[in-house]
Amino acid sequence: MASISKAEKAYVQSSLLSNPPLRADGRGLIDFRTIALESGIAPIANGSARVSIGTNAQDGGGGTEVVAAAKLEVESVGDGEGVDGGRVVCSVSCSPTAYPLLSPNALDDLQHDMTSVLNATLSHPTIRPKNLCILPGRKSWLLNLDVIVFSDAGNIFDAIFMAARAALWDTKVPRTKSVQYRAKKSDRSDATQAMDMDVDETAHVGSALDTRQTIEVADFELPDYWDEGEPLNGRQAWPVCLTLNLLPALHFLDATLQEEASVPLKLLVFYSFLSDATPLLRGMRLLGTGVSDLVQVNSLLKDGEKYARNVWLALEGKLKDEDLRRNQKARERFLNR
Amino acid sequence: MSSRVELINAGLLRSDGRRPYELRTISINFGAQGTADGSVTYSHGLTQVRVSVQGPHEAKPGTRRETFHDRATLNVEVQLAPFGVGERRRRGRGDKRLLELAATIKSTFEPVVQTHLYPRSTIDIFIHVLQLDGGLLPACINASTLALATAGIPLFDFVCAISGGVHGTQPLLDLTTVEENDVPSVVVGVMPRTGRATLVQMETRLHMDRFEDVFRVACDAGKVLWSEMRDALRERTGDLVDKLEAGPGMVAVKETEET
Repeated sequence: MASISKAEKAYVQSSLLSNPPLRADGRGLIDFRTIALESGIAPIANGSARVSIGTNAQDGGGGTEVVAAAKLEVESVGDGEGVDGGRVVCSVSCSPTAYPLLSPNALDDLQHDMTSVLNATLSHPTIRPKNLCILPGRKSWLLNLDVIVFSDAGNIFDAIFMAARAALWDTKVPRTKSVQYRAKKSDRSDATQAMDMDVDETAHVGSALDTRQTIEVADFELPDYWDEGEPLNGRQAWPVCLTLNLLPALHFLDATLQEEASVPLKLLVFYSFLSDATPLLRGMRLLGTGVSDLVQVNSLLKDGEKYARNVWLALEGKLKDEDLRRNQKARERFLNR
Repeated sequence: MSSRVELINAGLLRSDGRRPYELRTISINFGAQGTADGSVTYSHGLTQVRVSVQGPHEAKPGTRRETFHDRATLNVEVQLAPFGVGERRRRGRGDKRLLELAATIKSTFEPVVQTHLYPRSTIDIFIHVLQLDGGLLPACINASTLALATAGIPLFDFVCAISGGVHGTQPLLDLTTVEENDVPSVVVGVMPRTGRATLVQMETRLHMDRFEDVFRVACDAGKVLWSEMRDALRERTGDLVDKLEAGPGMVAVKETEET
């Protein structure tokens, strides 16, 4: 988003292309800045996470900071937009602090662009969690994933997807119990007697051989239970994003704002790595004014897979750590207090 | 048993266990946010706001005609995180309630910020509400005061705001959402050094005889808030001074250790 002069651009490009490549903060081409993640930061949401990339250790400023939170609401299937089996809707909003130079309209456009990338990848029916369904054909959960960009110091898409994955990992779906209303046998006979109507009683009694059972679940209730519910089904499947910044001869990862402004083309790849299965490419986007060709994209996808796997593994480890910190360790601390 | 929540019980305790004049816990965090000049994360009970201040700087292209030749303009923008309220509702930039809130904050700070020092420039106050449980306007105002102070913008005085209400004949301070929905409420912003009020806002009906009680109590509470806010700012400034004094020497020591 930073606008830089031609001279600055040439300076950044030539130092990246020099041998060995040089970056302003001394990183190698495929090194990331420090990433910090914390989950469970919004108590009212069903799942939430904060991710920051490259904040300086002294005061916590200067990096990319993104907050994501998932909130569930009940939706009726059929009327309006409700879909049988639930749906996921994502939105990204940018704080004006992140882009102080943009006018409000430009900011709207930018958050719309980010929303479309996130929504296209995460709300796809193939990765929809199974337990978003409450009553088949009648009620389902609508999962709203809201991402807020608080500051952008480059590599925003990686941060958004990391935060989104962490928030969805953290999301707990409340347990529901289907209920069905049925008048008691005795009540019904009382009622008919009282009304003194000529009703054929046998008409209510089905044949003993009739094994068909029509289950008419009318509504659901939330049982009172000590925890917040169960995690989303298939939460391993949410993809990570990796941004490859392309110069004609090379690519590099985790660009700062200046570096982003001096490359003509970015390739976003969204991968998910399920255990022992072949990695799944969930989508890709080519952003920027430059052009690329099939051969280059092919080799980039291979490289991207390699880097994305590292990001995936690191994130997976951190998410498990966070689970441990927030459940087991918190319980121990509570007991030993 | 009535279905309504009992706002004050026989022992004069409120629904969250506070006494009528008791304030909720305040925490103030001056952690930097991106490229902002001054920033603060302020939580008051379960209400949490992030405020960052940028400026004074030249107005953005397109808004330059809104500047004044003799003073700076304040630009206040309020955003509400969709997940921060009980019922999720997306409020866009044009939402009337948020615009009104922003206008109130702007008019509160216009007499307090020394805008005449920065002609033809803009001071941006960006407010992000992360969580909401009553007392939104006071939280925004207190956080903005702190953020303006950390950004080094000259102020005539602090603005300390607090909400107050009346239940029966009992004045209450610092209302939660539940209480805000049920009792008449007043928001008072005081300038504690001069003892003047820069904001009094009331959207509900309140008996005239009761108003004075609430107003007095709220003004006193403003002074209490002032001491909290001043202490937090002092601590931060003290930290900065320590770093400034120790600065180059510390770095040199670190380098020698590494080599």
